[in-house]
Formats: sequence, structure tokens, C-alpha cells
Amino acid sequence: MIPLRVAIDPFPISVPLVIRLQNDGPSEEGTAGVIHRGQGFVEYDVCGLSLTVRTPDPDALDGDVVLILPGQRSLHRLIRNGSPHNTFLVTEQCDQKCVMCSQPPKAHHVDLFDPFYEAALLGPYGTTIGISGGEPMLHKERLFDFLLRVQERRPDIEFHILTNGQHFDKNDEPILQRLDRARILWGIPCYSASPETHDDIVVKAGAFETLERNLALLGKNGHRIELRTVILNANVNGLADLSLYVTTHHPHISFWAIMQLEPIGYGRQNWGREFFDSSQNFDPIAAGVDIANIRGLETVLYNFPLCTVPEPYRRFCANSISDWKQKYLPTCSDCSAINRCTGFFEWYPEERGFSSVGAL
Amino acid sequence: MKVWPLKFREHDHGELLFTNEAGGFFRSDQRFLERYVDGILTDDDFEFLRRHGHAYRDTSDAAFDGFCGRWARRINPVSKLNYFILIPTLRCNLTCDYCQVSRAPETASGFDWNDEILRQFLGSLSKLDTETIKIEFQGGEPLLRLDILEEVREFCRNNFRQAEFVVCTNLQSVSEEAWEFLGAADTFISTSFDGVEEVHRSQRTKESVVHSEFRSNLQRAFSEFGTAKVSALPTLDVHNLPDPDTVIRSFVELGLRSIYLRRVNYQGFARKRYDFRDTQEAWMEFYRRFVDRLVEHNWENDDAVEEYYLSHLLRRIFRTGVQNHVDLRNPNWLGYDYLVVDFDGQYYPTDEARMVSRIGRLDLSIGDVDSGIDARKRDVLNSAASNFEDPDCIHCVYQAYCGPDVIDDLSRYGRIDIPRHETAHCQHHTALFDFAFELIYSEDPKVQRSLGHWLGTPKYRTELAARLK
Ligand code: SF4
Ligand code: SF4
Repeated sequence: MIPLRVAIDPFPISVPLVIRLQNDGPSEEGTAGVIHRGQGFVEYDVCGLSLTVRTPDPDALDGDVVLILPGQRSLHRLIRNGSPHNTFLVTEQCDQKCVMCSQPPKAHHVDLFDPFYEAALLGPYGTTIGISGGEPMLHKERLFDFLLRVQERRPDIEFHILTNGQHFDKNDEPILQRLDRARILWGIPCYSASPETHDDIVVKAGAFETLERNLALLGKNGHRIELRTVILNANVNGLADLSLYVTTHHPHISFWAIMQLEPIGYGRQNWGREFFDSSQNFDPIAAGVDIANIRGLETVLYNFPLCTVPEPYRRFCANSISDWKQKYLPTCSDCSAINRCTGFFEWYPEERGFSSVGAL
Repeated sequence: MKVWPLKFREHDHGELLFTNEAGGFFRSDQRFLERYVDGILTDDDFEFLRRHGHAYRDTSDAAFDGFCGRWARRINPVSKLNYFILIPTLRCNLTCDYCQVSRAPETASGFDWNDEILRQFLGSLSKLDTETIKIEFQGGEPLLRLDILEEVREFCRNNFRQAEFVVCTNLQSVSEEAWEFLGAADTFISTSFDGVEEVHRSQRTKESVVHSEFRSNLQRAFSEFGTAKVSALPTLDVHNLPDPDTVIRSFVELGLRSIYLRRVNYQGFARKRYDFRDTQEAWMEFYRRFVDRLVEHNWENDDAVEEYYLSHLLRRIFRTGVQNHVDLRNPNWLGYDYLVVDFDGQYYPTDEARMVSRIGRLDLSIGDVDSGIDARKRDVLNSAASNFEDPDCIHCVYQAYCGPDVIDDLSRYGRIDIPRHETAHCQHHTALFDFAFELIYSEDPKVQRSLGHWLGTPKYRTELAARLK
């Protein structure tokens, strides 16, 4: 597991600080260069102040864009150099309470859009930044403003925005038209073509109806959408139906991400009830994938270890669990497919997981 | 609840195929048709129709937007010019039976691009508003003018972010320099191979020494470059049709998994002799037999093989936005995204337009490298580029999947306003779509297995072959 936070010594700032750490070179605006390496720590020059970072491996931080909040004893690695998995968590609030949520909502909100804006400007060329929460669109004025400002200064940056799709409305159309549609992908979950099942899963009455309308709104405005469906006992048998529904009523959706359950947050709490052992029965998932393929909707399977998937469907599996939360099992060390395989989440409960895993 | 207009056609066993303008389809029976016509659809009917994208509650219903989206995505938009078919020479070192009009003897003069044409063509490329370009060298035999090929390729590589080249060669006589040219990673080979040695020989190479040269070049092309770089197309004569199994076997032996069956496109006098009407039935009989044999092959082997055009039709039936094949799309814009440049620098909208013009029946050129596109003439040709307003197509159950072929109509009938169902293009496509839907609704597991392969998925799903009971 790769740490996303790294300990620092107390640092005297009164507003959030965003800075790019650099091993060498003089510090220029926005960057901090190494001035001293010690045993288990490294010191950077931040505009004349010394920042002490407690890490045995300072090289891993080279090129990272980090955030330091006043009074905090750690820094946040916002953009890890060379990693395709960089996400700005813009809020922890949410209006849904999905049974598999990996980031259960909290009531309190701290607005960090300004430091995020600075961080984006410091990011490497052409990088993709994930925007996540909570529900980012609860702060949609701030979010839209952030996106427009970044796109003006850094038109090369792409965004992958995870939202529950509940908070768009017709009044957003002028802004949707101004956003760079080629560089934004909205990742929006839909769990079932049955309104009741979907609403039960997200624990919000009427969510499906709103979602349906907003998917159409985004589509009509030319936005690109990745539909995201987590497999649960509650919805797995409706996957073929969902596939039919999506390809019939939402033809503007560009990708469909079908995901296995992530054992963290509510997903961990509800694991026993909701984990569907697809290594035992892949049929309902296969049906969904086939229908989407035939209709021309590109489908990707996330969080499915290759050996749990029948051979013909392995080509749809992505090796995708973020590097910082990925692990393999002892049997994996003999596996010829390990380089292509997504592996397991750090917190994967082996005894209650897939019943059939084994080296290929 | 409102139902989008349905069109229907009787299929086998008296079942009716219903389709809408966004390409949705299902099968049902006479009783449903009566309920539909009489306006007495049941709740179950509505529920089925909405679920499958044929009905909506009101305009705020996602089913309404879904239909509009699918309808819109079936429209082929005009796209930027980025694809050229070049005829740097009309000369050829073979005398294939059906190619009289589009070739000149190897030693003839006055049938090649001159320096002026080359210069003007390259000049026109530099004015293009595109970062990517695709050039297809045809002929005659383009390898007779390797010098021109080299120069065009060099220019494109230097002036476009991405450039791709296809050399359509008969692989008859390939010099070492030509092999080297063909070996580049951005250069692909497309050759004719009729699938059966005797047929290929009798139609093309004629003499056995000539034929064995071709054979060894073909082998070399495949072994040196592989199927990712080399494709082979058969051209079949309806009066001398090969045995499907032999064709399939010889393509599989070369490692090819896609076979595009094309019949000889006779022009001029030969067209009168081999009238379409007399040959269509024989061709479809062969075509069905061929596909049956493919289905059998795919049942018994893992290396599935497709008939390219059938796969294209199936994709156009199930999907929206499938515009990648210029022979069938709607509207089929002419003279916009690709152009043919003849040996004398004339522009044509398609290769067939070039051949029709060559026999002097009609002049379908739309400008030349010197004076540019003749926009007025191109507009005239495009006045019937889509089937949206065709008085026959609008009633046709296959309209959403089909597309017009103005050039074929002009070349056969000299006009475009004859009843659709009397045209070769329409008769042929009606037969092909009938066949495609037979396959789609087939309960034969062998057919279903092949459908999965052709549609790019591990398993075909009959949920998509909906039936309203
Ligand atoms: S054995 Fe491990 S590495 Fe191999 S496919 Fe299974 S989970 Fe992946
Ligand atoms: S050309 Fe014929 S088959 Fe095609 S849409 Fe028109 S009427 Fe139908």
C-alpha cells in the first residue's frame, strides 16, 4: 500500500499551502527543493521556511504536488507524480447512502477548491484528475467555477468526475455547454433498471427518476458519461435488464464500468449481505456484458481478479485497483497472469471472499 | 403512452418484423398488428414497447430522449476530407477478366500521373484541415510507379500527425525495393485473392508461371508481415462460383479471419450480358450457402471467420454510429470525406464513379487536382445522399440500417428516381437484411455461436431478438 498522507513536523501556515516537491533544482514559485536529507526525514525549502517531512523514502515524493493544511501534522499527496490515480476529494457530504459506499458521508464540509485549483495548475501535462466525494455536485457552483478556471489555464488537463447524478438541472445547461466536453468524463452510478431496486441501494426515494432525467440532460448537452455499476446480491440478477435499459434509453453513454464490491466503508459493513461470489456464478454478469457489446457499448470489468472470470470474459477486465490500495494473495506469486490482474483490495476478507481463486 | 411509428414486413413462419426509425426492432404476429392499427394496444403491449424503445410516456420520459439519441446517432455526419484513393497509373501487368475498363497495358504511355499532377495533388494536401490522413494506392498496378508512392508517402509523413497507407496490389511482380516500401509500419497491403486457385488463375493470372509468382509473393507477404498488415479480397464471378469450403479453407490457411465476398461488378457491355436480375438469385443462393458453411466452420473451430459485409450489416442493425464502411451508410455523402484521384488528375466521389465515367456513359467527375472540387456538381450528386426522403425507403422496414447508392443507380439506370424496389441495390439489400434477420432470430445454437463472434462478444444473447407475444 502506498501512503497518501505523509507525516510532517509542525509548519507555521495560516492558509492551506499547495506546493510541488522537487529533489533538485532551486525552488521557484510553487515548488520546494530539498535542502537536507537526514535519517528518516527530509527537509525542503518552502519560500525560505524549512519543511520537515518524515519519510524513509524521499525519492518517492519527487515531483508530487502536495497540500498542507494549517495545524495538520501531515501532508496530502494530491497529485502523485507518474500515478494515473490522483483524486481530489472535494467534500464528504452526500445526499445518498449507498449500501456499498467506500467513503461514507459526513456532515461537515471544508471548501478546498482554491488549493485544488493551485494544485491542478502545478500538475504534469495532460494528467487526469479524479474528482470525488461524497457528492461533489452538492457544491456545484464551486465545482463548475473550478473546472472553468482550470480549463482556461490548463486546457490539457482531463477530469473524471464521480457524481451520483442527482444535482443537475436545466439551469446548468449554459455551463454544461461551456465546459470542455472532450476532457470531462462523468462517472455516474446506476445499479438497476428497476427504480425500486436502485432507490433501495442508494437509500433515497425517487433517486432513479432523477438520475434517469439527468443522464438524458448530460447526453443532450454532449457530455461523456461512464456508467458505473457495483455488483451486489441486490442487483446482480438484473444486470441483463440494466444492460438492455441503458443501451436502449441512454445511447449517449460512452462506457460502462461493472465493478466488484470494495471491502471498505459501508461495503465492508454490508459485505456479508451484499458480496456476490462471481467466481461461482458469472452468468448474470456475462449476460450484461454480452448485451452491451452487441449494442456497441464499451464495457469494462473492474475489481475482478482474472482467475474468478471465465476465460472469454477476461479480456474485458481492467487491471485497475489503485496502486495504493492493491494487494495479491500468496497463490498469486505462482500466477502467470499477475501482471494483467487487478488483484485484491488491501482490506479484502479472504475467508468471506471469492470461493475460487487460483494461479493461472 | 405514445408509440413511435412502426413499419413491418412478413418474415418466415408468418411472423412479422417490426422496426422503427431509430433502428429498434422486434417480431410479433398478425394480432398485434391489428391491435396496433386499430389503436387498441394493451397495457402489456405498451410496457413491452416502452421497454424496447418503441414508446414513451411523454417528452420528459427518458425513453423519449433515448429514441432521439439513437435516431440521431444513426445519421452519418459530413466529416472532413482525410482519405484519398489514388490511381497513380492505370497500367497493369495483368489482364483480369472483369477489369477491361479500368486498366491499360503495362507498356502503354499517357496513363500515369505526370509531375504536374503529383505537384498539384501534394499542394492540395497541404491545404487540408486534418491532422490524420489515409492514402490508398490503387491502379492499374500501383507498384509500377513506386517512385510516386514514395514521394506521396514521404510528403504525408512530414505533413500530418498520423498517416496511413494502403497499397492495393496484385502482388504479381514485386521488386526488392517494393518489398522494402511495403515493409514500413504505416503501410498496409490489400490484395486480390479469389480464394480458389483455379478460379484465381482462370480470372486473373491465367498462365501457371505467372500464377506461381503471385502465389509465392502472397506467401511472402503473409509470412513476412502477417495478417495485421495484409488483407486479401476475393472477387467472384456469379457464373463461376467456387466451393465455399475451399474458399474458407484457403483464407484460414493464410491466417485470415475476415472474408469480404464481392461479386464482379460488370460495366458497360459486360453488364448487359450478365444482367443483375438473372444473377441475383444465384448470388444470394451462393451467399447463404457460404454463410452456412462459415457457421459450420465456426462451430467446429476456435478460429472464427466472418463474412465482412454481413458483420457490417449486423452491426448496423444492433448499434448506432456505425459509419466506418463507405459502401453502406446514411446519408452516404459523396465527395466529402474521401476522394478518388484518377491517373489524369480528375476527382471522383467513388471508384465506381470513376469506372462509370471511363466507359463514357456519364461523367461523374467532380473536379480535378488543378481546379479543385466542383462544388455544384457535388451538390447535385448529394441531393439524394440520404434515404430519409426517398418515397419508397420511408416505408421500408430496413431503412434505419440501409443507405443509398446513388452511383450504382446512375451507372445502371442513368437516373436516380426510379422506384427503389426495382433497383439492384435495393433488391440486393432487401435480400441481405432478410437473411440477417433470419440469423438474428435463429434458434440454432450454431448460428448463435457465430453471431457472438461476428458481433464481438463471447455469447450472443437472444434477449436482443425480442418477441412480443
Ligand atoms: S491467482 Fe492472483 S494474480 Fe492470478 S489471476 Fe488469480 S488473483 Fe490474479
Ligand atoms: S434501398 Fe431498399 S432496402 Fe434499402 S431502405 Fe430503401 S427500400 Fe429499403
